[in-house]
Amino acid sequence: MISELLSKLFGGVWETVRGGVSPRTARNLRKEFRNSLLAKLGVVLVVAAILVAAFAPVLAPHDPTTQNLDGSSLPPLGFSKETTQTSSEMVNGSIEVVNETVYVEADPNHPLGTDSLGRDMLSRAIYGARTSLMVGFLGTAIAALVGVTVGLAAGYYGGRVDDALMRSADVMLAFPSLVLAVALVGLFGKVSIPVPDPLVALGVESGMPDSFVLPGTVILVVGLVNWVWFARVARGEALSIQSEEYVKAARSVGASDGFIIRKHVLPNSVTPILVLATIQIAAIILLESSLSFLGFSGTTLSWGFDIAQGRDYLATSWWISTIPGIAIVLTVIGINLVGDWLRDALDPGIEGEGGGP
Amino acid sequence: MSMGRFLLRRLLQGVFVIWGVVTVVFLLRFVTPGDPITFIAPLDAPPEVRQNIARELGLNKPLYVQYGEYLFNLVQGDMGYSYINSTPARQRIFNRLPATLELAVAASIVAVVISIPLGVISATRRHEPADYAATTFSLVGISTPNFWLGIMLVLVLAVGLGLFPTSRRAIGFLPAIEMLLTDLDPGGLVTWLWHITLPAITLGTYFTALITRLTRSGMLDELGKTYVRASRAKGLPETLVRYKHVLRNTLIPVITVLGLQLGTLIGGAVITEAVFNWPGLGTLVINAINDRDWVLIQGSLVVIGAGFVIVNIAVDAMYAYINPQVRSE
Repeated sequence: MISELLSKLFGGVWETVRGGVSPRTARNLRKEFRNSLLAKLGVVLVVAAILVAAFAPVLAPHDPTTQNLDGSSLPPLGFSKETTQTSSEMVNGSIEVVNETVYVEADPNHPLGTDSLGRDMLSRAIYGARTSLMVGFLGTAIAALVGVTVGLAAGYYGGRVDDALMRSADVMLAFPSLVLAVALVGLFGKVSIPVPDPLVALGVESGMPDSFVLPGTVILVVGLVNWVWFARVARGEALSIQSEEYVKAARSVGASDGFIIRKHVLPNSVTPILVLATIQIAAIILLESSLSFLGFSGTTLSWGFDIAQGRDYLATSWWISTIPGIAIVLTVIGINLVGDWLRDALDPGIEGEGGGP
Repeated sequence: MSMGRFLLRRLLQGVFVIWGVVTVVFLLRFVTPGDPITFIAPLDAPPEVRQNIARELGLNKPLYVQYGEYLFNLVQGDMGYSYINSTPARQRIFNRLPATLELAVAASIVAVVISIPLGVISATRRHEPADYAATTFSLVGISTPNFWLGIMLVLVLAVGLGLFPTSRRAIGFLPAIEMLLTDLDPGGLVTWLWHITLPAITLGTYFTALITRLTRSGMLDELGKTYVRASRAKGLPETLVRYKHVLRNTLIPVITVLGLQLGTLIGGAVITEAVFNWPGLGTLVINAINDRDWVLIQGSLVVIGAGFVIVNIAVDAMYAYINPQVRSE
C-alpha cells in the first residue's frame, strides 16, 4: 500500500530505489531492524518528527507567532523564575525606589514556557520541525539530483569528463559548507516562499498561520553546497560498474549511454546513495539550524533562530535557547540511528562521507 | 612512485585547485545581485560620484582586466583595500588568523587525544559498559549542533557556575608564551587557557564523536581479519597485535576522513566564533558579507580555501607516509 502511494507520488525515483534494493538487501534490512533496539528507536524518532511537522497546526496549542507581552518569558512547567521588580513609592513625601523579588510561576497553558515576546515555546518547537525537515529533505533531494548526475557521468565516461568534473568538485570541497552557504545566502538574499497550509485551508484547524514560509534560498544553497558528497560516491560506483560484463554486453548490442546509465549503473548504485542521503539529511538539518542561528535564513520559525533569540536572555530565561536545541538533537539522533541501521544492513562502504554541519 | 614525486604531483594539483578557488571567489561578485557601489556611495549620490567611485576601485574595467589585475596583485600578496574603511585586506585577515588557528588546533588536539583512546577502549571492550558509554557519547556528539552546545556550556559553566568567561579572547597564544618566556609569568597562558576552554570543547566535540565512531568501527573491522588471528596464533602479545598492527591499519581510513572533514572544522570555527565573540576569520567573514565588503569577502574566502587545500596536501603526505600503497596509485 505504502509502496503504491510512494510510486504514485515519486514515480521514477521510487521505482529506481525499489529496483536497486534486491530481495536479499530487503531481508538484511528487516533482520537488522529486528535485532537492533537502536534502529527501532531511530525509526520512532524520525516518524514522530515527521508526524509533528505534518500535523503542526493540529498539535500546536497556540499560534507560534502570536506575541503576548504580558505573558513573556514564562518558565516551563515545574520551574519558576526569580525576577526583581522595581517600583517607586511615595514614602513620607519623598519618592523611594523599591526593589522586590517576585517569583514568576509557570502557566499550564504554556507547558514549555514562552519566549521574550510571549510566544508559546511548545508551538514554536512544533512548527520548527517543519522548517528543519523541509529544508533537510528538499536540500538533500537537490544535492542528490545534482551530485548523482555529475558523479555518474564522471565515473561512466571517465577521462577528460571525469577530470573536469572531479577537479570542480575539489574546488567545491575547499570551501567549508557553512562558510559557502553563509556567503551564498548573504549575497543572493533571503527568498521566502509562503506555502498555504493545507490543514488550515481545509478548515481542519483555525487560528493558526494560514501559510508556512519555506526558506527558498536556504534550500537551494544547502543543496548546492552538499552535492559534492553525492558526486564522489556516485562516481566511485559508476567507475566500478561500467567495467562489469553486463554493461559491456549492453553496449555491444547497441544500448545508448543514457540507457545504460539509467537502467544499469543507477540501480546498482542505489544502496550507497541511499545511505549517504540519510546522513546528508542530518547534516543539512544541522547546517540549516546554523544558518538560522547566524541570521541567514528566510523564516523566523526555525529552531536555530529561536536558539539565537534565547542567547540574550540566557541569564534569566534559560529555556528559550535550551528547548529548540533539544528538538534538534532528538531529530538528528533519530536520523543518524536510521542511517546506522541502513549502513549496518547494507554495508555500502562509505564510512565518514558526507560532511558535518 | 617515490615520496618526492608523489608530493610534487599533489602540490601541482593543489595549485590548480587554489587557482579554481580564486576564480570562483572572484566570479562570485559578478553573479550575485546588487552593485557594490550602492553599498559604498550615499543613497542620494549623483551618477558622477558613482562613476568616480567605480573608476577609483577599477570596477569600470572589463571583467577580464579586473580578473587579470586581481590575480596579478594576489600573487604578490596584495588583496586590495577594504571598501568600508580602506584598510589593507591582507592585514585585517592575517590579524584575525591566529585566533581561528588557535581555536582549530586546540579543538583538534582535544578531539584526537580523547577520541582515539575512547574508540580503542570501545572496540576492545565491546558490549561492556565502557563501550555503551562511548557509543552513546559519540551518537549524541555527532547529532548536536555545536553552537547550541556552546550556548549550553556557557549557560551551565559560565553563567551558572561562573567557572569560565562567557565570551571573548583576552590574550593571544603567542603573546601569552612571550609573557612566560620574558617575564617568567605564566598568568598570560593561564588566562589564554581559561578563555579558550569552552570554545575548544564546543568546536571539538563533533570531531571527538566522529573519530571515536570511526576508530571503533575501523578497529572492529580490522580485529576480524585473518592477519590478527595469524599474529595471535604465532604467539604475539595481545598489546602488540592491538596497538602495532590493528590500530595502525585503523588509523589509515581515519586520517582520510579527517582530511575530508577539515572543511567542517573551519565551518565549525566560524559559528563557534559567533557564539563566543571570538575575534577570528569567521566573524570577519560574516561582517564582511553583511557589509558587502567585497575585497574582504574575497580575501578571507581565498585564505580559507587555500588553507584547506594546503592542510589537505599535508594530510595526504602523512597518509602516503603511513600507507605506501597510496603512492603507487
